[in-house]
Amino acid sequence: MVQNTDEIFAQVSEIMRKHTQAAVNFSEDTHIAADLALDSVAMFELIMDIEEHFDIGFSVEEGSQLDTVKSLVTAISNKTAS
Amino acid sequence: MSQNNIFSKFDDVSQRIERIDSMGETRPFGVVFDRLLSQTRALVGNREVILAGTNNYLGLTYEDTCMSAAKSAVDEHGTATTGSRLANGTYAEHVALEDELKEHFNASSAMVFTTGYQSNLAAIGALAGKGDHLIIDTDSHACIYDGCRLSDAETHVFRHNSPENLDRRLKRLPETGARLVVVEGLYSMFGDVAPVAELTEVAHNNNAMILVDEAHSVGCYGDRGHGVSAAQGVLDQVDFITGTFSKSFASIGGFCVSRHPQFEMIRLTSRPYLFTASGSPANVAVARAALKIIANDGKPRAALWARARQLHAGLRQLGFEPLSDPGPIVAIEIADELTAVQGWNTLLDQGVYVNLALPPATPQSKSLLRLSVSAAHSEEDIDQIIEAFKMVSTGKALRTAS
Repeated sequence: MVQNTDEIFAQVSEIMRKHTQAAVNFSEDTHIAADLALDSVAMFELIMDIEEHFDIGFSVEEGSQLDTVKSLVTAISNKTAS
Repeated sequence: MSQNNIFSKFDDVSQRIERIDSMGETRPFGVVFDRLLSQTRALVGNREVILAGTNNYLGLTYEDTCMSAAKSAVDEHGTATTGSRLANGTYAEHVALEDELKEHFNASSAMVFTTGYQSNLAAIGALAGKGDHLIIDTDSHACIYDGCRLSDAETHVFRHNSPENLDRRLKRLPETGARLVVVEGLYSMFGDVAPVAELTEVAHNNNAMILVDEAHSVGCYGDRGHGVSAAQGVLDQVDFITGTFSKSFASIGGFCVSRHPQFEMIRLTSRPYLFTASGSPANVAVARAALKIIANDGKPRAALWARARQLHAGLRQLGFEPLSDPGPIVAIEIADELTAVQGWNTLLDQGVYVNLALPPATPQSKSLLRLSVSAAHSEEDIDQIIEAFKMVSTGKALRTAS
């Protein structure tokens, strides 16, 4: 099912909230690793949850290029549309 | 200016290590054993410590036939081969070791590498190529991640020890490209065992091959020490098994065996195999001697398991909750990094050396006190280790259960 980016953003925010103790108001410019204080292992956990939720797959290389929430939402949007 | 300084990237780790080092007399990541007294005892400065973090699972580093084999090898073949396996670095003993591994594992092919780290680098890096897919457990050792980086394949991670997640992950992959799943038999940090039989079935059902790294489990699991794959009855189904000689084999080096004869083609393409010197005559001789013991003598394995159960039960009795069932590796989770360093220092003060394991080297960013059991530990050694933990737990928030 194709979802618009606002819907994806809302779902991504909910998943991210489970992975961070940082009090962050998520926006498209939020830096996933830095603002959420996630190390590389925690990033894998977050990405695996996103893969399961949206039924998509990211390679390690693709995951390492996701820096902001906007890049993540765009990547999800592209993968769910294809 | 600082961005032009090549060393500025180390600022964070340097501050972190300074803080850790300042907490005790001995630097946890700079321990020097001034003199080895046996497989299980050493001097750190003037203090005698029990070695409870050496991965010397079968206690063979001072075993008579292993020591004699090393000495004879030096006498007969000198100290080093000074060359690659493809050039002047293949001696009859390297080939004999490969033949013996092939026979032991009932495999069609076997290759020996100079270190265990290189075994995974060599096998994974050469087997998977551009357009292929590597699917690895998220808790994989650094050498597996590095092997993936060395290949030109796409790497994907699946949830630790989850056949269900692996299945879904494989089904999401594109149809094109070969697929290789990589897991470990026994995970080095938490000491937990992989469901290798189920993972193998899932891999094969999804048109993937599977490589099992038995670095920590070879010698310890299975009736004849083949590892976890054999213990779970799938030794003949796993496509590739890698392992190291630097733990149960009491040497240094590593291997990969396979039921596929074509595996040996990587002798001509694997960079970590080609562009390094082969294992020294002494190291190869010890690996051969240790393999004979592992294959034919169940006593060291039985002793290891008896001591492992004793340690696990003793720590549980104190209120600690090891992160896995009884086994050669016992990991105790500590609330935070500084408390873990404090615990490590207290144990050393009590005459017990364990491994301090901190993120990012640990899964789930946990701080650990990690112990490995040896067949050479006596019952009294284990009692002393448990006693030392009792001292640590008093006054410190080390206990994770009551």
